[in-house]
Amino acid sequence: MKTLLVIKKQEYEWLIDLFPGVHPLLVPICNKPFIEFLVDFAILAGSNALRIVSDGVLEDVEHYCENGSRWGVEISYGSMRPADDTHTVIEKNRRFCLEERVIIISGFLFIRYNKKSEYASLFASLPSGELLSCPNGSISLTGTSTTKTGTPGTLPFSLAALDSIGKYYELSMEILSTGLTHYVIPGYSSEENCYIGRNVVIPKSAEIIKPVIIGNNVQIMTNSIIDKNSVIGSNVIIDRESVISGSIVIDNTYIGEHLEVKNKIAAGNLLIDPQSGTSIVMEDPHLLTTMTQSRVAGALLRRIVHAVGATFLIVLQLLPWLLLRPILGMQGKWKRKREQHYTGLPGKNVTLTNTTIEGTGAASAFAKALSLDRFTLLFNVLIGKLALIGNLPLPVTPAIRRLPNSHEGYRPAVFSYAEAEEWPEIGIDAEIVEHYYAVHSDPLKDIAMTQKALFHRTH
Amino acid sequence: MNISEKTINNYTIVSLQGILNASSAPKLKTYIAGMPDEQSLVIDLENVEFLDSSGLGALVGIARKKKTSSAIMKLARMNERVKKVFEITQAYTLFDIYDDVSAAAEA
Repeated sequence: MKTLLVIKKQEYEWLIDLFPGVHPLLVPICNKPFIEFLVDFAILAGSNALRIVSDGVLEDVEHYCENGSRWGVEISYGSMRPADDTHTVIEKNRRFCLEERVIIISGFLFIRYNKKSEYASLFASLPSGELLSCPNGSISLTGTSTTKTGTPGTLPFSLAALDSIGKYYELSMEILSTGLTHYVIPGYSSEENCYIGRNVVIPKSAEIIKPVIIGNNVQIMTNSIIDKNSVIGSNVIIDRESVISGSIVIDNTYIGEHLEVKNKIAAGNLLIDPQSGTSIVMEDPHLLTTMTQSRVAGALLRRIVHAVGATFLIVLQLLPWLLLRPILGMQGKWKRKREQHYTGLPGKNVTLTNTTIEGTGAASAFAKALSLDRFTLLFNVLIGKLALIGNLPLPVTPAIRRLPNSHEGYRPAVFSYAEAEEWPEIGIDAEIVEHYYAVHSDPLKDIAMTQKALFHRTH
Repeated sequence: MNISEKTINNYTIVSLQGILNASSAPKLKTYIAGMPDEQSLVIDLENVEFLDSSGLGALVGIARKKKTSSAIMKLARMNERVKKVFEITQAYTLFDIYDDVSAAAEA
């Protein structure tokens, strides 16, 4: 038996803003990453191989699950296009689906199961076709049964759609109140309905009322109350005299003193009301939220090389700029526009003056050929605000208040890698090139790419 | 880079072996340009040892050209090295990628 998980990005996109920095398939439900519930179910159903297929980025999921050896199951990954239906996905993964029966779990859904039930023989005996469905997806089975075909009566599992923060909260509460023994929940459990992780500090004056789940590295301060139906994630501090009741506190969260958190989800510095979906920003004096890795040390050599390159170009372009800038300015062909652009650092933007050289005259053509429109931007390289080559600076617009996740490794620059390559025709091509060089560039390659950009730019 | 071809159904299966980079991408483009524009293709990437942004550009260019001629281009049997480049660049959203050549030629 094998399992094919088909999850489209649009089905889990709503989670990205609520839990930034965590891949939606890794969002914890009762302190256990969502994907692990599906892996557990696939194993219980007798699968020896599992393939996760999505049209979204699976890098973090791949990093977490690796090849599945920790569960004793072989995990592989596949891609699909957003418009692909289940049949197309099966065709695209025919080699995987060919030899054995395949359970196809399609959609961003939670499977309610019981670890004590026998699923392997059940799935082996069920006929092929759709077994269960919900508005968010379905479970189906391919191939013919190896044992006597059973009649699909009431199946010992059900589906729960995960399509809003309210459903996420309800599901967590449901597991806490009735289903803790149905799943493998992380933590030490010396008594029923109470799971506690490693390195948890609970003072005598604090009160813990079950059912409750507490993660690893948690500090509960004096006189705090963790009331029933609460999930406390890992690396969490609950400061003194605070009350957590019917709430989910996600990993890396600080709950200040004298606070009452009732029926809410606290994630990093966000406090979310699961009913309305509204959120407010809390103070995070301990900066428990995941920190982005400092790029200073690794970027120092690159910055020096870029500054030297920019200095060289400034020297080269200075005279032509001094001569042509006033001429083109008087002809009205030198257009300037000041705009705010993302820097790649959270909350920090940079104001840049973008120049456009218009017209087809000799002066315009010469200025374009020398890339004089980028001359003033080169000074930003010297002060470290821009790189010499990287991504085209992304303007800040009211519609996009934060740098999209798709721009990982974003480094705004005077020239872009896409300009260095000859093939990009449209925006998505440029994105592909920039994604490629976000991983594959080095300072020396940057110099070569800058040269290519100077020659290949559409003049 | 070595290029070989065979036909399954109405698809020409183009198998690549070696490195697909800035120096070998023009060879692939010229090879494909020698075929009729309306010929649908499956490019077998199992034996591609290395793929860079220029190689990716060649594949995007071929796919775009085939689309304008109402032909189909599919990719099949990506190995882990090639898959990694497609993941990093998120180029998988532009192509139909199969784990089996015959499946690609039959679908």
